[in-house]
Amino acid sequence: MKIEAHALEHYYGAEHILRGVDLSIPSSGFTAIIGESGSGKTTLLSILSTLLQPTGGTVTYDGKALAELGNIDLFRRRNIGFVFQFHYLISYLSLRENVALAALAPEGIDPLMERLGIGRLGSRYSDEVSGGERQRAAIARALINHPSVVFADEPTGNLDTKNALGVYELFREFSNSGTGFIVASHDKKIADFADTIIEMEDGIVKKIHH
Amino acid sequence: MITPVKALRKNRFKTALIFLSMTVSIAAIFLISAISGGVVSMYSAMLKTDGDIIVTQKGIADTFFSDINRSMTTTIAAMEGVKEVSALILGAAPVDPLPIVGIYGVSDNRFKSYTLKQGSYPKTREVMLGSKIYETLKHPETIVLSKQTFTVSGVFKSRIGFEDGGVVMPLEDAGKLFHKSASIFLISLNDLGQSDAIVAKVNALNSQIEAKTTESFIDSYNQFKIIQTSSDVIGAMAFLMGILGIVSMMSMVVNDRKAEFGIMRSIGLSSGAIIAKLLWETLIIALAAFFVAWGLSEGVLELIEHAEKFQGYINGEITAALLLKVFIVSVVMALVGTLLPAVYASRIDPMSLIQRGGA
Ligand SMILES: Nc1ncnc2c1ncn2[C@@H]1O[C@H](COP(=O)(O)OP(=O)(O)O)[C@@H](O)[C@H]1O
Ligand SMILES: [Mg+2]
Repeated sequence: MKIEAHALEHYYGAEHILRGVDLSIPSSGFTAIIGESGSGKTTLLSILSTLLQPTGGTVTYDGKALAELGNIDLFRRRNIGFVFQFHYLISYLSLRENVALAALAPEGIDPLMERLGIGRLGSRYSDEVSGGERQRAAIARALINHPSVVFADEPTGNLDTKNALGVYELFREFSNSGTGFIVASHDKKIADFADTIIEMEDGIVKKIHH
Repeated sequence: MITPVKALRKNRFKTALIFLSMTVSIAAIFLISAISGGVVSMYSAMLKTDGDIIVTQKGIADTFFSDINRSMTTTIAAMEGVKEVSALILGAAPVDPLPIVGIYGVSDNRFKSYTLKQGSYPKTREVMLGSKIYETLKHPETIVLSKQTFTVSGVFKSRIGFEDGGVVMPLEDAGKLFHKSASIFLISLNDLGQSDAIVAKVNALNSQIEAKTTESFIDSYNQFKIIQTSSDVIGAMAFLMGILGIVSMMSMVVNDRKAEFGIMRSIGLSSGAIIAKLLWETLIIALAAFFVAWGLSEGVLELIEHAEKFQGYINGEITAALLLKVFIVSVVMALVGTLLPAVYASRIDPMSLIQRGGA
């Protein structure tokens, strides 16, 4: 799914956060949004992922504006996966049940968890596995419906370096098989894994590297 | 089905609180309805024995205040289609050590409606006691009413709690005791089809009296309406308390679980699906609370029925109709109480999951 942003502006109250962002993100590949803390990465990602309405400008998905997409719940469920800084696994459900909650069809759950290296942890609960494993379960939940694109905001913010690199490798691997990833992070190491790097500074796109 | 149970177990403290508050409300509804229904049906049963038509003083709110001339029974008994007429005095007096006991003065032809357990029907200056009060008073040989001593001639058994806890005496003696001729007449007919005609004839006899079919008397009897209305009001309050309890507890639950509902929204579960999840959770609690409240209420009713203090006057029964009514009320209570918090949960913005202004 090709995502394009035109003249995005965003204000929080009187604070001018995004100051005219124009972007075109290809339908697949691994795109990283990097920049200093406060540069507007989260705000941009929230707008691109339909969670936040921009104050000005438009975002289109394969050429269609948000209003033309129909039922937004269904659109999200079919096309978009989310990974947050915190895993937000539901504590009373096992890892497998957490993934199943999102799944439109149950078939792919076990192979996917296997591929993410948590195949044997399906019956465990989030407080019975490590931080890296929790984030992998959250990634499985984001990938289960074969979304066109997965949005992640600081997905490694709560992980140590080793687990963080593991997560980037997973994104790399899955983006090779066709899923798009748009990941906001202040961690510069992400650049080694991404196809496209969008550098933010003070609410504008400073540079785009490929 | 498994998911809501897991969610309830995980939040067991609040689940327990919701369960308790629902159980108390439902049990209150059960008890107030059963007890008021019991009082009404007991009194109606008493009136219905041998009475197709009831005659009272006109415009009286309570049969205890009714005063009519017993000599009219002869005239009424002579009417065509009338099988029998009996006169009753309904009174109440203390019988040491009981503060208040129902006293029934009845004409001789009504004695046969009491099943004697021992002794004989009372004659002048004699009484017969219901088996319940006979036990409570520890098998007395005499009792004192208004400083007059009466000999206990016999003991009867009645399934009507009021009577089983009461004292029956000849009409004349009761008339002297309560300074009246009769409270009510009970007329039984050969053919129920004639009841309207006979009601009209009796009403024409005297402008001071009022005859009604027993059915319509019971339907219009003020005391029953008062009991029924009070019980409905108390029941409605218990219902509202139940709903308020659920609303406040569920609001806390939703607040505790904000992230859970936010993530459900972000993975594209519809608002309806989230509302349904929460409704299932309270519905399960409501079912458990319903059955526990039912059991509790049966226990309490059993205790009340055998409590000496109430002399069998209070005697509630949980009928199938009441069971169904309270079941529906419990389900409605759970659904209505959960709806608002659930709608709130279903609108939680996934944006709240994003760490604001973070790194
Ligand atoms: N909900 C909000 N209300 C007000 N200010 C906000 C809100 N969210 C973010 N900000 C501010 O907007 C700026 C950009 O934030 P953000 O987009 O989170 O940047 P980044 O993710 O790059 O750190 C920061 O100064 C932050 O404090
Ligand atoms: Mg951020």
